[in-house]
Amino acid sequence: MNASQPLLSLTRRHFFSRCAMGLGNVALASLLAEGPGPGTEPPAPKRPHHRPKAKSVIFLFMAGGPSQLEMFDHKPRLNALSGQPIPDSFLEGKRFAFMDSSFKNKSTLLGTRRTFRQQGRSGAWVSDLLPHTAGIVDDIAIVKSCATNLFNHAPAKLFMNTGSGQFGRPSMGAWTTYGIGSESRDLPGFVVLQSGPRGPRGGAVNWSSGFLPTSHQGVPLRGTGDPILNLGLPLGVDDAAQRRALDAIRDLNLRRAAETGDPEIATRIASYEMAYRMQSSAPELMDLRGESDATLALYGCERDRPGFARNCLLARRLVERGVRFVQLYHTNWDSHGGPGETLEDDLARVCRETDQGCAALVKDLRSRGLMDDVVVVWGGEFGRTPMGETREKTGRNHHIDAFTMWFAGAGIRTGQVLGATDELGFNPVEDRAHVHDIHATLLHLLGLDHQRLTFRFQGRDFRLTDVHGELLHKLMA
Amino acid sequence: MRVLPSLFLVLAAAVAGPGAQAVGPDYESEIKPLLTRHCVPCHGAENPKGGLRLDTGAAALLGGKDGSLVLPGRPQESALIQVLQGDHASIDRMPYRRPPLDLGSVRKFRDWIAAGAPVPASETPGVHVHWSFVTPVRPRVPSTKTTAPTSLDAFLLARLEDSVLLPSPLASAETRLRRVHLDLTGLPPSPEELDAFLADPSPSAYARVVDRLLASRHYGERWGRWWLDAARYADSNGYSVDAPRSMWPYRDWVVEALNRDAPFDRFVVEQLAGDLLPGATVAQRVATGFHRNTQINQEGGVDPEQFRIESVFDRVATTGTVLLGLSVGCAQCHDHKFDPITQREYYGMFAFFNDQEEPSLALPADGAVAAASTLVMAERTAPRDTRLFIKGDFTRPSEAVAPRTPAVLPPMRARDGRARADRLDLARWMMSPENPLTARVIVNRVWQVYFGRGLVETENDFGTQGTPPSHPELLDWLAVEFRESGWSLKHLHRLIVSSAAYQRSSRARPDLAESDPRNLLLARQTRLRLEAELVRDVALSASGLLDRTIGGPPVHPPQPEGLGAFTQNRREWKVGEGGGRFRRALYTDLRRSTLHPALAVFDAPDTFTACTRRLRSNTPLQSLTLLNDAQFAEMAAALGARMAAAGGPVANRVGAGFLHCTGRHPEPEETARLEALFRGELAAGAAEPAAWRAVGRVLLNLDETITRE
Repeated sequence: MNASQPLLSLTRRHFFSRCAMGLGNVALASLLAEGPGPGTEPPAPKRPHHRPKAKSVIFLFMAGGPSQLEMFDHKPRLNALSGQPIPDSFLEGKRFAFMDSSFKNKSTLLGTRRTFRQQGRSGAWVSDLLPHTAGIVDDIAIVKSCATNLFNHAPAKLFMNTGSGQFGRPSMGAWTTYGIGSESRDLPGFVVLQSGPRGPRGGAVNWSSGFLPTSHQGVPLRGTGDPILNLGLPLGVDDAAQRRALDAIRDLNLRRAAETGDPEIATRIASYEMAYRMQSSAPELMDLRGESDATLALYGCERDRPGFARNCLLARRLVERGVRFVQLYHTNWDSHGGPGETLEDDLARVCRETDQGCAALVKDLRSRGLMDDVVVVWGGEFGRTPMGETREKTGRNHHIDAFTMWFAGAGIRTGQVLGATDELGFNPVEDRAHVHDIHATLLHLLGLDHQRLTFRFQGRDFRLTDVHGELLHKLMA
Repeated sequence: MRVLPSLFLVLAAAVAGPGAQAVGPDYESEIKPLLTRHCVPCHGAENPKGGLRLDTGAAALLGGKDGSLVLPGRPQESALIQVLQGDHASIDRMPYRRPPLDLGSVRKFRDWIAAGAPVPASETPGVHVHWSFVTPVRPRVPSTKTTAPTSLDAFLLARLEDSVLLPSPLASAETRLRRVHLDLTGLPPSPEELDAFLADPSPSAYARVVDRLLASRHYGERWGRWWLDAARYADSNGYSVDAPRSMWPYRDWVVEALNRDAPFDRFVVEQLAGDLLPGATVAQRVATGFHRNTQINQEGGVDPEQFRIESVFDRVATTGTVLLGLSVGCAQCHDHKFDPITQREYYGMFAFFNDQEEPSLALPADGAVAAASTLVMAERTAPRDTRLFIKGDFTRPSEAVAPRTPAVLPPMRARDGRARADRLDLARWMMSPENPLTARVIVNRVWQVYFGRGLVETENDFGTQGTPPSHPELLDWLAVEFRESGWSLKHLHRLIVSSAAYQRSSRARPDLAESDPRNLLLARQTRLRLEAELVRDVALSASGLLDRTIGGPPVHPPQPEGLGAFTQNRREWKVGEGGGRFRRALYTDLRRSTLHPALAVFDAPDTFTACTRRLRSNTPLQSLTLLNDAQFAEMAAALGARMAAAGGPVANRVGAGFLHCTGRHPEPEETARLEALFRGELAAGAAEPAAWRAVGRVLLNLDETITRE
C-alpha cells in the first residue's frame, strides 16, 4: 500500500540511525531491512548442517508416564517374583542406584497382569493393551532402554522437551524451527495438539521458545471444540478490508518497533501476518470432508469429534503442509493405582484412546510415501517402576532409569527392538538411550548437528543437549 | 551475592603448602552447580549413598564412611577425582551408571582441589544455612556517586555504578502516566487525566496521581486479580463435572480487603484461619474461602476421601508456594531432594489442613445484592488422626504426625499453651517477624509485576534450587520495610512506583544489549504485554463501553461459537445483556474446563493450581482474537463511533482514538497513516461509520495498545 511506504522508509532510517541493536534484535533488524515482505513471514527454510534424512517430526507425547512393563517390556522373571521383596542379589549391585531406603524396605515387585505376544518379523513383544500397535511393529523401532533425569511430572516433561528441568530453555520444536526454519508459509512451524481430560502439566512451558525469539514457540490448538477459534472475519469486514487493516497495523507496529527497539514487536507483526494466512489455511487444514471414510475408519475418528485420533489425522495434514514440528499431548498416563490411575481399567482406557490413532498414523504416512520425510516419536516423560503392590487394582511409581519409546519414519532403522533392560526392568543393560541422546539423534535426522546448533545467551552458547548427547547410531538406518 | 574471599575457610591451607595456591574456580558459581547436578541426586542431605553427602563443599571435605573424598591441594590423590575419571581402585566410576562428566567439569574439580578446595564459611556442616532461611534484617542503604532519588534507587544505582552502566532517563510523562495507571488499577488514564497531568508542572504531580490511583476502587480489582492467581480462584468445581460454585463473595472480599489496605498479615491470617479468630465475623469466615478454591470431584463412584486428601495436598502445596516460596509439595512422597524438608515435616504441614469441615456459609441479601452462599472452612470438633502416607498414597498410612512446621524455619508455638497447634497458629507463624520467607516472597511477587521479573527470578522457589536474588540487599530492605510499615501493600506499591527505576524509559539500548541483555541490573524499564484481563479491560475502556460496577456474581460476556461443551454437565453460557456484557474481565465466569478463550489465549492461569507468574506468549491465535472475535469487533465499532462523534478534522478524530488506546497523542506520521486508512476505506466504498470502525479496529490491535510501555 502506497501510504505505508514513506512511513516505512522513515522507520528504517530512524531505526538504523538511532538503534544499532545487539544480537537480541537481529529479527527486528532483518525485518526492517527487508520491509514487510519476507521478514514478516515465518522462519523460511534454512540450510541444515548436513544432508537431512527427515523434514519434519511428529512427537506423540504420552503425558503422565506410560508403563512400559504393561505394554512393551516383557519380564517373565518379574512376573515370577511378583509380590516378593526385591532380591538381595539384585540390590548388592545397586549401591549407588536411585532407590531410597523406603523402596528397599517396603516395596515388593509387581508382575504384570497383561498378556504379551511376539509380533511381526522382528518378534517384538507387545501386550494385549495395544492390538493396533502390535500390527505395525515392523514399521517402528522400539527402544526399551530410554532414560531421563527427573522424576516429577512437570520437570520431567520439561526435560523431555528442552533437555533441562529449568524454565527458560527452548523446546525441541523451537530449536528445530530455529535451526532449519519451516516449509509452511501459511501455518506455524511448530504446532501443539492436545487431548485427554486436561493439558499436560506445566502447559505452555513445554512448547516454549525459551531464550530463542518468541516466533519459534509452539502454537497450541484447542483440545475441545474447534481447534482454532476466530478464523472467520467479523460482520461487515471482507478480505480486502482485513488486508487494509493488517497493513495499517503492521506499519504502525513497525514504527513502534523502531522507536522502542523491542524484538517482541517483530514477533507480533509476524503473528499478525500468520493469523491473516491462517484465516484460509486453518479452515482448509481442519476441513476433513476430503478425507475418505476409509481414512477416518483407519484412524477411528469422526470428522467433528475432537480427540487423540483426530489429532493424529490432523498431524498428518500438518506435516503434509510443511509444518516442521507437530507435538500431540494425550493425558493421563499416570498409573499410581488409585482411582482413575490403575494399571487395569484406566491404563486400558488410555491405551484404547491412543492405540489405533498411533498405528493409523504410521500406516497412513507409509501409504502416502511420507515416511521418507517424517519421523514419528512415541513416548512419555518417564516410565514406571518394577515395584508396586499386588492388590485388587495395581499401580506403579515413576521410573526414570529405563522406559520404552518408539520411533518410526525417515532415517529410522525400523523393524527392530533396540536396547534391553535387566531381568526385572530396573536398568538398561545395553544401548542406553538417554533423553539427550534422543535429542541429538532427532536433530541429526533433521540435518542438524546438536553440537553446532547453538544460541548465545548471557555470555554462553546454549544447546538443546547442554554438554551431553551421543548419536544413537543403531537407531538410524 | 558473591562470597568475599575473607569469608572463605581455606580448610586446607596447612596441607596444601604455603603460597602455592593458584586461584581456583569460584566455588559458588562453578563447583557447587556441578555437585548439585551430578552428585546430589544420590548424595543429598537425606539418605546419602554410602553415608557420603556432597550437597555442600564442606560435606565433601568431611567425606563418608570411606573417608575423605577430597585432599586439598592434592587432586590426583583425591578419591573424588579418581571416581570421576573412573580410575579408583575399588569404587565404580561416578556418577554411577550415568554418563561421565565432561573433561572440563573434571578439570574444574581438579583445579578447585589444587587451589585448596576452598568453601564458604556458611557451608561448614552444622552452620550451613541457605540465604532465604535467615530472617532478613534491614540493610544499610548504599551510598552512590550520583544522588539516588529514593532508597530503593540507591540499591539499584550502586550496582549499576559498580558495572559502570548509566540508567536510562525517565520515560515521557505520557508513558509514565499510562504505566502507573495500568499497574495500579489495570485501566488506562482518560484523556482528561492526561491533560491534567501534563498541565501540572509541580514536582508532586506524579505523587498525587499515585495517591489518587491507590485510593481508586479499581486498585483492589487490579491487585485482587494478582492475589486470585495465587489463590487458584475459579467459579466452578473442576474435574470432569465442573459444576458451578458460588465463590464470588470470596473474590469480592479480596478486592475489598485490598482497597481498604488491610494489613497483609491480617489479610493472610484471615484467609488461612479466619474461622478460628475469636468472635470471627462473617467477613473473616468468607476469607477462609482461600483454601476452598480447590477442585471438587463430583463424578459418581469416586472415593470422597481420596479427593478430600487431594484437596489437602493442594492446600499444603499452595501454602508453601504462595507464602513460603518453597516447593514443599515435593516432600509429599519422599524427603525433599534439595531442600531441608523431610517427608515427616510435610505431613506435619498436612496435619494443619486435615482437621476441617468444608461447609457453605449462607450470606444475607445486602443492598442490591441478593442472598448468596460461599464455601468456607470450619474446624472439626475432634482432629483427624493424621498419618504419613507412604509414597503419598492415601491407602498406605504410616506413623502418626502432629501439626508442625519445618525445622529449618523458626519454631512455631501453639497459642495460649495449647498442646496442639492449629491453622491459626500456623497463620500467625507464617506472618511472624522471624519468618524469613513470607515477606521476601510477597515483595518479590509484587516487584515481578512492575519489572516483569522478580529480584528472585524463580518466584516460586526460594529453596536451594532457585536462583539467588539479583539484588539481595534490596530484597531484604523491601521485605523489612513492608513488614515494618504495618504490612501495608499500598505503602509497598507507593515505594516502588515512586522510584526512578520504575519510571525509567523502557527503550532498548545497544550498550545494554551487550553488557546486560536480560536487563538484570534494571538500567531501564521493560515493555510488558498486558495480562489477559487487561487486554480486555483496556479495549473496553478505550471504546467507552466499560461498565465499572464492582463485585457481584460472575458475568457472561460473549464468546465464540465452537467452544464445545465436553464436560459431563453441559452448561449454557447465557450472554449478559446491557452492562453485564461489558464488565471487567475479573468478573467473567471462570469455568475451569472451558476458560473464556479470549482470556486463555493471553495466558490467563488455568486455575487448577496456584499461579505465581504469568507467562507472556505471543502467538497468531492472539492476533486472530483481537482481529476477529465478535466482542472485540463490538468494541472496535464503539471506538469508531466515539471518533466519529468527536467532530473536527479527521486528523483530530483519529488522534482522539489513538489517545484512548495508547495514552499519548500520535506523531504526525502515525496520524497520516490512520487518516490514509480512513480515506482508503471510504475509497473502497465503505460508509463513514464503517470506515471509523475500521480505524477503531486497527487501534485496538496495535502492539502498543496491549503493552505497558
